[in-house]
Amino acid sequence: MLLGFKISQFILFQTVIVSGCLLLFSCGEKKEIQSYEIPSEYDGPVVTWELPDQWGENPDLSGPMAGSFHVKTELGPMGRIGVMPFRESVSSTDVANMFGMELGQSTISDDELKKISEIKLIEGREFEWILLSDKSHEGSTRAVLLALFRDKGETWLFPFIADHDLIKSQTRNFESFLASTTLRAGAIEIRAKAPALPPPPPAHHTHQNQGPTWDIPSHWVKREASSVRLASYEVKDVNGSTLDFSVTSFPGDVGGILANVNRWLGQIGIDSVEQDGLKKYISPIILDDKDAQLVIAEGTTDSLYAAILVVEGRSWFFKITGDRTLAKVEKSNFLSFLDSVCFH
Amino acid sequence: MSKDINTRKKRKSSLGSRRKKFAWLVPLASIRLTLTLLSLSMILIFVATLEQVRIGIRGALAEYFESMFGIWHYPEQFWGGEFLHVIPLPIPGGYLLGGLLIVNLTAAYITRFQWTGKKMGIQLIHLGIIMLLVGQLATQAMQEESRMQINKGESSNYIERFHGVELAFSDVTVPSTQKVVTIPQDILEDGGTVRTVDLPFKIKVKKFGVNCDFTVTPQGSNREGHANEVNRGVGQTANLTIRDKEEDFSSEGLNFGYLIFEILDGTKSLGTWLSLAHPGGNHWWKQSPKLSDFAFQPIRHDGRLWGVTLRSEREYLPYSIELIDIENEFYQGTEIPFNFESDIVLNMEKNQTRQALVYMNTPLRHAGKTFYQYQMNAAADYTVFQVIRNPSWLIPYIACILVSIGLLWQFSFHLVRFLRKNSNNAKPA
Repeated sequence: MLLGFKISQFILFQTVIVSGCLLLFSCGEKKEIQSYEIPSEYDGPVVTWELPDQWGENPDLSGPMAGSFHVKTELGPMGRIGVMPFRESVSSTDVANMFGMELGQSTISDDELKKISEIKLIEGREFEWILLSDKSHEGSTRAVLLALFRDKGETWLFPFIADHDLIKSQTRNFESFLASTTLRAGAIEIRAKAPALPPPPPAHHTHQNQGPTWDIPSHWVKREASSVRLASYEVKDVNGSTLDFSVTSFPGDVGGILANVNRWLGQIGIDSVEQDGLKKYISPIILDDKDAQLVIAEGTTDSLYAAILVVEGRSWFFKITGDRTLAKVEKSNFLSFLDSVCFH
Repeated sequence: MSKDINTRKKRKSSLGSRRKKFAWLVPLASIRLTLTLLSLSMILIFVATLEQVRIGIRGALAEYFESMFGIWHYPEQFWGGEFLHVIPLPIPGGYLLGGLLIVNLTAAYITRFQWTGKKMGIQLIHLGIIMLLVGQLATQAMQEESRMQINKGESSNYIERFHGVELAFSDVTVPSTQKVVTIPQDILEDGGTVRTVDLPFKIKVKKFGVNCDFTVTPQGSNREGHANEVNRGVGQTANLTIRDKEEDFSSEGLNFGYLIFEILDGTKSLGTWLSLAHPGGNHWWKQSPKLSDFAFQPIRHDGRLWGVTLRSEREYLPYSIELIDIENEFYQGTEIPFNFESDIVLNMEKNQTRQALVYMNTPLRHAGKTFYQYQMNAAADYTVFQVIRNPSWLIPYIACILVSIGLLWQFSFHLVRFLRKNSNNAKPA
């Protein structure tokens, strides 16, 4: 019997002690920072890099761009280097044409590409090296250096868009940047899709292939559409001045509004702007009941009017560029054209 | 006979000496205090039950049971409510009443109870009640409630807490393993700049909230408050405005925790991000194309790729559960569930496996955790288990056994005495 009492006494005091400890524990517990390792759960693509000292990072990342950089110069940030992971093995010709078009080049064939491309071995990896020059203006020094790396059905594109001399002086940095990259294909589908071949140009006033339709002013002269241009027109006046009109479409936002506008500004001789300066050139408009951006940039000799519209993850660019005086005359026609754009 | 009287005297004097020794405990052992505390407990339960309708079970638990006192306002819809509603009434909370009851019972145990065979049943009953109270306290302090969602044909090796978030950084540069660094909600709530040797950068907490409303900022207007500072990640690309919201304690409440933070490399800012925690688990973000990156926002630093996400506090297990099949049945012609059933395989250490069927009231118990069938979506082919870890789960059982033995002892003792007395009286003279 005495043993029973002793046990019950023991349990009682233990209980009191435990409850005291619990009260302290419940009031005073504070969680800490934890660090641990687990088998990798991440199955997306991995793209990493180390930047050369002379390069800076652009904060305006969007769409398929995994990274965007500039070269720090005494005159400020110059050039634009990008990192674009693609889900598929993209055709080099398509990529070259995508950038070549912006430089005013005619469609590059596979044979022509072979002449301007080479294979560079950097840190044991093979990069396809393509150098494109600006053909849109005589005396233009703008160029695009494209480096493509392919692995397990995925493609990584590194475009370097800048003045020819800057590209030349930064080639070593560009190579060391490429050497520092870690590039690993992902197992899951990512949003950055390959720039698939665009659909055939929509017929005037028809509803083919669910592409948009539009009304083209009758005096605009149709030119041959390409794999990149869905529609291409030329406008000429009696003085021989010309405007080039194009409709293009790409998956994603192709680097975002700032990147595209800056590229266009460069084509008409206007300096690049930062995000804050963008407001000077863009204003919101409605295109077929959808929010879009109207770009108006007038340089000393050339002007550019464009509309950027993103529909179902795809960017549409409607752009007219060329002689400043003729552009002013055609501005109302361009805006009428935009009014007529209709997605079905 | 004289021996019996001597023993009784001796025991009484032992109680007397104890009462003298612990004189300060005598007022605490008062039966009036016991009755007062029990009455207050009934009031507490009544008030909390009324309030549960308004603030939900979790809200009522936090306000009235997991506190020293709660403030109650007389319901407006009751008689005279329009006048009485404004008066705040303090109600003693669960911790206060429970703590005082433990003290009261313990004091009574020491100063009033005689440790005799006759009274042993009473002692055991009270000891059982004390253990019940302590067990409840232990449950409050140590029980963890989590969930585990598994898609059919897949397996999962982690559980996520129902409440509480963490900011998780994952270095995914190496293909085989990923390093994870988690910063708990407590630290995020404290704010300031977080430094740890495990991360190559610092995190400056700009704003943390347990719940928010998030909307896409209309074109032409600026994001509000701290969201306007966000210049990286989904917060920027989706142009989100965040409005702080009070935590919703109701059972249907969905709390989207949010964090606006800046990452600093030394003194250089790498940008300001917004992270949102999905109340159902961050895998749900994948359903929303524009916000899917909330599950993994990339940050590149020194040639390494880190992913950051604010997620429900996560615990990795040394085993995994694979969902083979699910079945849900409803009462005919109704949508009232009759049975939810998950056919699972438990993959344990050393390649051991165990197949089990988890259904209502038949949980899976493994390694100190109990997996209850919680939710199921047969259309989407997934199941959700409620996972409970309660190291003190045995205490209520022991307490009930003690109370049962005590009652049995007490009644048997009196029954035997009664029968003896009766048989003595029945003896012929």
